Amino acid sequence: MMEFLDQLWSLNLDRETVFGLFEQGLVFAIGMTAILASLGVILCATPIYSALYLIVNMMCLALLFLLYNAEFLAAVQVIVYAGAVMILFLFIIALLGAKKEKRDLSFQNLAGLGFVGLLFCELLMSMMVGETKPVEGRVTLEVVQQVGSAKAIGIELFSHHIIPFELASLLLLVAVVGIISLAKFSNKQLRKRTRF
Amino acid sequence: MGSEFVLFVSATVFSIGALGFVIRKNPLVMFMSVELMLNAVNFLLVGYSSFLNSLDGQIFALIIMTVAAAEVVVGLAIILTIFRTRHELDVDHINILKG
Repeated sequence: MMEFLDQLWSLNLDRETVFGLFEQGLVFAIGMTAILASLGVILCATPIYSALYLIVNMMCLALLFLLYNAEFLAAVQVIVYAGAVMILFLFIIALLGAKKEKRDLSFQNLAGLGFVGLLFCELLMSMMVGETKPVEGRVTLEVVQQVGSAKAIGIELFSHHIIPFELASLLLLVAVVGIISLAKFSNKQLRKRTRF
Repeated sequence: MGSEFVLFVSATVFSIGALGFVIRKNPLVMFMSVELMLNAVNFLLVGYSSFLNSLDGQIFALIIMTVAAAEVVVGLAIILTIFRTRHELDVDHINILKG
């Protein structure tokens, strides 16, 4: 251990390099944790464990948002996803009862596996290509750090993206109306199917 | 970490979500897989908005989060309604619209 530290010391790394290496290792570890947690979501037989793994995955992604300078979105991710959506999932699982799912390696599953494997290979191939024509935006990190992430996003949202914002509010309204009608008018039993 | 890492993590999580949507039979877990896919795309948008010095990606991710929240709420209400009338949860058995 001491020899390793001596070697590290003899490399004469300055502070920024060490912090950069540490940050890279942190990003790598969190990204791998996110991948493992997402594997846990689809491989667990009981839905409650899937939900817990999904919370881990969302927390990892929130940490990655923080490391990629998106503080506001990290907060929104924790509040909306890990807070609201997952609580909803856990309530529904508690209401419906979590049964274990029997797993069998049927032809359909193998076909799905092949299809998704092909999709993954295509995504990796598109990864190899890299950026063809990088865009240079005008909102650099210094600008964001001057006003803060939330304020920068607010300015951008209310100046250039006002129509998507209003459409999102309309979408939420439609969702509320749909929920109320589903919850209020679906108590009656389904009418018997008429046979011709 | 460069953009390759962001692309790799995003592609992997997206593929895992697609796989979960295809092979699982519980509609709740299928919804969780959809959330995985949406989260992967969000991560890609945020990472690239940091690389390209533009906030458009973050705003897109914010709107995706809104859509995901609305979608989850409506989907879970539909699942609950189906469970109320049929008392089981298996997407293979819900075939009343099959004709």
